[in-house]
Amino acid sequence: MRELIAERLKGVTAKPLFTAGKMTAAQKIGIALLVAAVIVAPILFQGFGQLFMIRIIAVIGLYIILALGLNIVVGYAGLLDFGRIAFYAVGAYVAMWVGIPLAGLLGETLEGWSYFLVLPIGGLVACVVGLLLGLPVMRLRGDYLAIVTLGFGEIVRICLTNNIFGITNGAAGLPGSGDSLAAPAGLAWLRRNVHFTIGNNFEFTFTSNIYWYFVIFALVALSILVIRNLDNSRLGRSWAAVREDEVAAQAMGVNTTVAKLYAFVIGAFFGGIAGVTFSYFQAFVSPESFTFLESVLVLAIVVIGGMGSIPGVIFGALAIQGIPEFIRGFASAGWFGNLSAETVSAISNYRYLVFGALMVFMMAVRPQGLIPQTRRARELLGEYDAIDGHELDAREPGDRANSTRGRA
Amino acid sequence: MDIFIQQLVNGITLGGMYALIALGYTLVYGILLMINFAHAEMFMVGAYVGLFSLKFFSDPEWGAATLGLEGMQQFFTGSIFGLIIMFAIVFIFSGIVTGLLGMLIERVAYRPLRNAPRLAPLISAIGVSIFLQNAVLLWVDSRAIAFPNVFPVVNFGYGINSLKIFIVVTSIILLIGLDTLVSKTKMGKAMRATSQDRGAAQLMGININKVIAATFFIGPALGAVAGIFHGMYYGAVIFNMGFFPGIKAFTAAVLGGIGNLRGAMLGGFMLGIIESMTAGFISTGYKDVVAFAILIIVLIFRPGGLLGESVVEKV
Amino acid sequence: MKLKTGATLFATAMLAFVLAFALVGCGGDANDSAADGVTTYTIGVASPFTQGSVAQGQDIKRGAQLAIETFNDSDEARDAGIQFRMVEGDDMGDPKTAVTVANTLVSDSNLIGVVGHYNSGASIPASKVYSDAGVVMVSPGSTNPDLTRQGLPGVFRTCATDDLQGPAGAQYALDMGYTTAVVIDDSTPYGEGLATFFAEAFEELGGEVLMTEKTKDVDTDFNALATRISAENPDIVFYGGMYNAGALFSKQLTDAGVAAPVMGGDGIQEQDWIDLAGDAAEGDYATNVGAPIDSLPSARVFVEDYEDRFGEPAGTFSAFSYDAAMAIMKAAVEASAEVSSLTSPAGREALLDALENIRFDGVTGEISFDENGDTNNKIISLYRVEDGEWVFVDPASIQ
Repeated sequence: MRELIAERLKGVTAKPLFTAGKMTAAQKIGIALLVAAVIVAPILFQGFGQLFMIRIIAVIGLYIILALGLNIVVGYAGLLDFGRIAFYAVGAYVAMWVGIPLAGLLGETLEGWSYFLVLPIGGLVACVVGLLLGLPVMRLRGDYLAIVTLGFGEIVRICLTNNIFGITNGAAGLPGSGDSLAAPAGLAWLRRNVHFTIGNNFEFTFTSNIYWYFVIFALVALSILVIRNLDNSRLGRSWAAVREDEVAAQAMGVNTTVAKLYAFVIGAFFGGIAGVTFSYFQAFVSPESFTFLESVLVLAIVVIGGMGSIPGVIFGALAIQGIPEFIRGFASAGWFGNLSAETVSAISNYRYLVFGALMVFMMAVRPQGLIPQTRRARELLGEYDAIDGHELDAREPGDRANSTRGRA
Repeated sequence: MDIFIQQLVNGITLGGMYALIALGYTLVYGILLMINFAHAEMFMVGAYVGLFSLKFFSDPEWGAATLGLEGMQQFFTGSIFGLIIMFAIVFIFSGIVTGLLGMLIERVAYRPLRNAPRLAPLISAIGVSIFLQNAVLLWVDSRAIAFPNVFPVVNFGYGINSLKIFIVVTSIILLIGLDTLVSKTKMGKAMRATSQDRGAAQLMGININKVIAATFFIGPALGAVAGIFHGMYYGAVIFNMGFFPGIKAFTAAVLGGIGNLRGAMLGGFMLGIIESMTAGFISTGYKDVVAFAILIIVLIFRPGGLLGESVVEKV
Repeated sequence: MKLKTGATLFATAMLAFVLAFALVGCGGDANDSAADGVTTYTIGVASPFTQGSVAQGQDIKRGAQLAIETFNDSDEARDAGIQFRMVEGDDMGDPKTAVTVANTLVSDSNLIGVVGHYNSGASIPASKVYSDAGVVMVSPGSTNPDLTRQGLPGVFRTCATDDLQGPAGAQYALDMGYTTAVVIDDSTPYGEGLATFFAEAFEELGGEVLMTEKTKDVDTDFNALATRISAENPDIVFYGGMYNAGALFSKQLTDAGVAAPVMGGDGIQEQDWIDLAGDAAEGDYATNVGAPIDSLPSARVFVEDYEDRFGEPAGTFSAFSYDAAMAIMKAAVEASAEVSSLTSPAGREALLDALENIRFDGVTGEISFDENGDTNNKIISLYRVEDGEWVFVDPASIQ
């Protein structure tokens, strides 16, 4: 038993990705390129009038934050959660409830900072809600927890729709007539002063989409840093232990309930801050944005990307949120050549059909996800196989190569 | 009191449908330990197949009549005897079609993933569900289609009518039939063995592929029956009709103890009655909140569901 | 760790690919002005097509498509040397997707106007994007009063607001002698708004609301609610919502022994209501904006053309959408007399001006907009199901 645990936890000490000072030159260059691309992309898209790309990528960023939060719950702690969107909704509504009066309190000169003040508040409220739900249900396992979180997500949405306590404005959404969220600090100045043209085709204005794009990607970067450190902490190791074998983890002195609760609550925090940002980015929230399907799509991001893997989450978000939107955007922007309106319409309408088929296909080809976490690459291969160490032989050559590399 | 009985009747009818769908979830879960999200779409497809076959046999402007078979339509719609035969054909036909579709999906989307991580088939199932919904939306109709109104409805007071009796009685017969199949027949034994330990079952000479294929035939076939009931009872089918009944039936399966057949039946009827009672006496808007809240409370006190055995971790 | 490096490189490559596309993709899309002096402008149609209220979305798309095809063929367009091209945006009824769609549409520099969106929850956030881009937006289906009261220039609608239609329904109901009502909505912004305004006006005008309840737009089982309503024994049941769920509700009400008719808004005045509810639909009422469609010659032509073109009868929102697209195109022709290009800032200003002052006979009545951008067509007509058909009820006949 003990050897088994030792064997399983070996991956835990594997070198973490992106840790300063331990990266190879190629990685450093890769990351530098990535960061440069993230910064340059919106400027090019805005300049060339492909505004929708900024919006799509910013939305993908929001889903990355959401999925990073869920990744803690599903990928690290191994809890199946179908109600993630509830925390997103809590954050979004808190932004409206707190953000509007707060802006009033701050007065005209300071109201722009309300977003940055509400951001942690929304996250903390989501944490409290997560704690209240998590406390009683943490001892449920597997799919029972899944259905409880599903039910919770639906309860939250229905309460919002039914205008519970008269504060959600029902299906019509918030803000009600006359109210609005304050524009974030600095946007007006940037919009006025950052404006230039190059030649005839390139005209750049700093729009609110670009502002939120950078805010969201700053949040993404921050979230990745925090989560990577968490994963590598004592807590992260206890999550791995819980996920791999709860009883064994308990035997080794891990308080499994507390570890799971931490995962649940920290995951909720990320949902909350994504919600606050969504609220400000969209300037409008209504219960329609928080359906069960959204929870499912966030889960799909985590699984398709590769559970427990941060690059996986990023790719998963690109695949799930990006593919349908890119297909549509490119088609209607004429990037596939000059298509007739009918063809564009057909491409646009068939995108979800294709998307469904792609999900099946992706899972068939890479059941472990696009970029599986190295530590997990082995556990995924089934209980019996893992014990006698023959697991790698059961896989296709490609996977074997990946897994072997992961071990090195 | 009158109203109470009527609401009870409403709840039992709804529960019968939930129970039928819940069986599909629970059967698959029992054997493969996976939540088959595409099951809701089986229910929807079954309803569509039922709709078109029923139209074929009964609609004078559609199907058989245009092929010069008015006589056949007259026979089917003319007498009680004809109606019974027609409904038997419609139910069996759409059960078989949907069952075969279920097997096809298992073969294409789930079998390659049998040894994959647990969540992979779940995502695959979601993909299948999105695909099927959009296929019906794009290739059949985006609007709701009225279901042929050929079942003779006779009212008996207290909200009881012949259609409700038909639905509940047929559901119960199918539930008992399935229970017998699983507990008494050789196939059932093989299913139980497979659900206990797939590897060991294989060693004992059970063809687990066959067992799993059978499971994926039976579940969707029952789902199709529920779909036709749904169409007959409410009078319409639409491409997204599977979604909410699917969630509810899944809830019912968990409420009763997922993997447990009798649990699914109990859960289905309970959920139907809870929903009707809440909607009837407390609030329609909050009926789902009450249903889910009861589920959560039940699971807190009985983590394995009502009839599920509490899981003891094997080390 | 090689795997991760590979991933990073792959990510970079993908981004580079996307950027390269961006650079290439924007080279050649200046005005489609061909050599023959005809300018083609784009009109966006944004509604749910693959998820949510897809049936209404399809009606809206077809209405606009018919309008554009008809107008492109007309002398009015030929003389002005203008043609229009339709681009679709599928918002799936989702506010977040709607804003993305809006951004996609305004990325087309030839876009001058948008017909849409359908859901108010989609229209309100999307309207800001259009307004920022100087694109006019005419919604054929968003009835939430807030849409046009945000103070954004260029936001119009051809359908009636809930605060107009709900009270009109209440007045009609009381005029017909129905003094007690049960008010149900479908938890959509449309249904909820309509039901709320109906209930308020009904009580204010002296009626009694016995009960209000919420259902879902995707519900099919209303039996428990229907049984409960049968105990209340109201004169009339008001349903704020769409035909697909509402028809099932009407049917189940009749099954539960409720003799009172159902009344709803423009969302239920569809042939499908009768097809789905069957005999239970008999005697149900619907209010709708504008004069009855067959009292206007232009409307009769529209109804026939629509059936010829698509093989299906026109839905309520096809007519609003047709008028919305016509309003944009007529305004575009007017504005183009003053400025050379409608896509220049001055051109967009001129188009906005022209649309604010537009006046023509549409298929739902005379189309013109008030200072908010709401339609001046504030006539609300009453319809009733008789012998399996929606029939106009003459206001003079009910007192």
